[in-house]
Amino acid sequence: MSRGPFIFLAAFFALASSWFGLVLVPQAQLGRQVESKTVPAGDIYPQARPGLAAQGREVYRANGCASCHSQQVRQDGISIGMAVVKPGTNLTELVEAILKVAPELGRNRAARLVQELPKPILTGVTRMEADKARREIAVTGAKAVVTVEPVGPDIARGWGKRRSVAADFLFDRPVMLGSQRVGPDLASIGSRAASEEWLLGHLYAPRSVTPGSTMPTYRYLFEKRRIQREPSPEALRLPEAFKPEQGFEIVPKPEAKALVAYLMSLKATAQLFETPMLLPPEPASASTNAPAATSGGTNSPTRP
Amino acid sequence: MKAPSANAPLYVTDRASVSPADLDASCRLPALALFAGAAIWLFVASVFTLIASIKFHGPGFLADHAWLTYGRVRPAAWNTLLYGGAMQMGLGVALWILSRLGGAKLSQPILAIAGAKIWNLGVLAGVVAMLAGGSAGFDWLEMPRYASVLLFLGYTLIGVSALATTHRRTLREFYPSQWFLLAALFWFPWVYSTANLLLVARPVRGVAQAVIAWWYAANLQVVWLGLVGLAIVFYFVPKLLERSLHSRYLALVTFWGLVLFGSWSGIPDSAPLPAWIPTLSTVAGVLALVPLLATVLNYRGTVKGKCSVVWTDPSLRFVALGFVAYVVSALMGLAEALPGVSGLLQFTWFVPAQHHLLIFGFFIMVATGAAYHITPRVTGLPVCARCMAVHFWVAALGILLSVMPLAAGGIVQGLKLSQASVPFMDVTHATLMMLRVSTLGDALLLFANFIFLKNIGGVLLRLGRAQLATSWAVATAPAQTPEAAR
Amino acid sequence: MTREPANVIAAEPAEPKAGGVTMPMWLVWALAIAGYWGMVYFDSRGGWFNTQVYAPYATLDEVTALQPASDADAFVNWGKVKFKETCELCHGEDGMGKPNQAPPLAGSEWVNGPANRVIRIPLHGLSGPIEVAGKQYNFASSMTAMGAALPAEDLAATLSYIRQAWGNKSPAITTEEVSAVKAATAGRTQPWTVEELKGIQ
Repeated sequence: MSRGPFIFLAAFFALASSWFGLVLVPQAQLGRQVESKTVPAGDIYPQARPGLAAQGREVYRANGCASCHSQQVRQDGISIGMAVVKPGTNLTELVEAILKVAPELGRNRAARLVQELPKPILTGVTRMEADKARREIAVTGAKAVVTVEPVGPDIARGWGKRRSVAADFLFDRPVMLGSQRVGPDLASIGSRAASEEWLLGHLYAPRSVTPGSTMPTYRYLFEKRRIQREPSPEALRLPEAFKPEQGFEIVPKPEAKALVAYLMSLKATAQLFETPMLLPPEPASASTNAPAATSGGTNSPTRP
Repeated sequence: MKAPSANAPLYVTDRASVSPADLDASCRLPALALFAGAAIWLFVASVFTLIASIKFHGPGFLADHAWLTYGRVRPAAWNTLLYGGAMQMGLGVALWILSRLGGAKLSQPILAIAGAKIWNLGVLAGVVAMLAGGSAGFDWLEMPRYASVLLFLGYTLIGVSALATTHRRTLREFYPSQWFLLAALFWFPWVYSTANLLLVARPVRGVAQAVIAWWYAANLQVVWLGLVGLAIVFYFVPKLLERSLHSRYLALVTFWGLVLFGSWSGIPDSAPLPAWIPTLSTVAGVLALVPLLATVLNYRGTVKGKCSVVWTDPSLRFVALGFVAYVVSALMGLAEALPGVSGLLQFTWFVPAQHHLLIFGFFIMVATGAAYHITPRVTGLPVCARCMAVHFWVAALGILLSVMPLAAGGIVQGLKLSQASVPFMDVTHATLMMLRVSTLGDALLLFANFIFLKNIGGVLLRLGRAQLATSWAVATAPAQTPEAAR
Repeated sequence: MTREPANVIAAEPAEPKAGGVTMPMWLVWALAIAGYWGMVYFDSRGGWFNTQVYAPYATLDEVTALQPASDADAFVNWGKVKFKETCELCHGEDGMGKPNQAPPLAGSEWVNGPANRVIRIPLHGLSGPIEVAGKQYNFASSMTAMGAALPAEDLAATLSYIRQAWGNKSPAITTEEVSAVKAATAGRTQPWTVEELKGIQ
């Protein structure tokens, strides 16, 4: 069949088109990516993971954690707003300016706000409105910024401050993005987990820290041994129902410690060019554990 | 299908020199080697799947053993199902179809048998490695380097045999199934070697790995399984209904559609990649509706009026069930690509439900129908019809119970995940009941695969006994005395 | 109980042949419509193959415009956005102008000169021959008053942008300066000429 070679070539090129478009070109674009600088601070990002965390990544891979946990935060859009950061010398003028840009606040509220700066004044406006409002405030001598906040259900759940981008995975081998959320997303677990001890307890007995969890136990990453003269400083502190019998303690093996180091290193929150973000500043009077001004209430350390 | 009368020939010979009986005889050992291997791995896969499925809602089940932890058992289940079960059966059927359609005896059967053994060895090595913690870390590509080399080698040997058979064909005109099978035969080594080279052997940097992994998964499942599975459908449905395939042109649309659009699909919309990559993939995923429509039209046109025959014929009903599963899983895949809906369904149980339906519901079922047609003809021993019927009903019910609740659970999960006010624990608990029903379905599928293993094993056993008996008879025949010969 | 007759191997039918029913026309239409949708979708969401454009942004400009910056930078970035909307069509993205349409802005003494001159030009337009960076330009049609409809702060931002882009290094223009010029020239409808501008400091 003289058409045979022609058809073979056509099919070859059709199949090869996907190889070209999804292997070659992405490799040319992304495969030679190097570290970039954060915006506006100019820090190098990403930093390679420290040795223990890199070993922990191997433990993560070997135990198939990516079968239940994803590591990519999604974003639906942005919310532009305006926040007043520092007052100028004339507070009355500032209150007038605030009322001009956000009349719905009311005089009393505005007066209280200028005492508790920094505070977001506007949210969910267009870029033009936010810029205009910022200049109105700036005229009075106060300092105001246009805030750009990523929004989406993942972000509202506290799983991250912005979407994940290619730079977040630059040094990972293999890149384990995960395809299931049987468990929560882990892209920023290092930013929101309470402590290494909490993570270790979660690995040993998930239901001791998160009742109702369907995560399996990973006791083989731990060692149950007899207490020597005194308890080891590394021994897990577990609730009554999960403690080993009298005279024994649970100590994490090196794999568990490495895995936890890896998890604590997962912090995809750097500000990058690809994901413009200028979050509303933390209120000055809040404690260090308070969540950011507009994030959801699921930021508590005990419930990632 | 009518019972033959005493004098009717067992085969209808309307083609060139080689009789179908000879063709079948030439395919016997390779096909049986591949089917037997596939049956064993299918059974192993369903054991792993059941274990994993129980762990969805009962995390304490077999929890403290490293070898059986969920993160290792689940990928092991998928890999044995796909590589050990589906691809082997597909290759066995492909060899037979290429031999039959070309009218040429299977060339180099030794290569095919060696390939089958090496493939099985590769799957075994890969699964053991995965359970021991040596997973490579990518979905569908967890097998380490040494196992994938074995798989590649085994596939190449089988592929050489298939290509040589096609090269020596006596009937020059290609039937659509042949285009599909040849394209698939060429495509797998390319995607497999590329993926292994760029992900496992010399990993590329950063998220380029993720793109290649998704590309590989889509090409393996949508393109390879789709091409080979539809080749089987387009061969057996017209043949066993004694009709011609409705339209060659619609088959062309299916072919080019799968090759062009299927190979570009698979990148999720919100992946951490520059916007152009997921966008192109979404467009391809939506455009894949067109070849799906062409396939459905072709099937309907071929089957029109003979629906009852399709569903009562013992082996054709598997093919029909598989085709229905194909359409549903393709629609599920379309939903996963659709711009508005994909964000809802990503990361939920909907995705593994679609994979399970595609691999098991579609591919394994059509290949099973083919195997039940081929095995009696290459061995001369029938498979018991009641066993086939039981297999069919158990498998059909198992697929329904396993996939549908999982998909429904995925939709519920997606809806709840998209509302940040719903705590994560509630999302988990909302799906638990559906996961339990899905486990029931997986238990039924274990039973179905056991029946399949029993059926194939039974034929092999009888074949073995028959051959043993023949050899024994020949060996112990009374020697021809010079007086009797005179 | 007799065994089911189907437990024997039934007669094997012939190998299938492919029929020649033509493709229905609506399938071709479906492909065409889907293809068109795909092109539109990629155009709007594909970021045109740029590695720095991630969903939900559609273009690199969008991403650039939203970058957090110091106050001065934010003003100039805003001016860049406005420049792209209002001036780029004629003066070019690189500020090099377009033959027969507009003179260059890069290295132009009119841009880098006194603020009062550069504010007046977009407010009312410019007609007649003009010399820019040593070259004579005589365009068939004069410049329209492109900046007349802009709010004062947007025009100030745009002018600040062009005064420090493409190698230009001149101080920014404030909103007050633009408002003052607007007030001073209120009522004027004629485009400026070079002679008139040279008289302004």
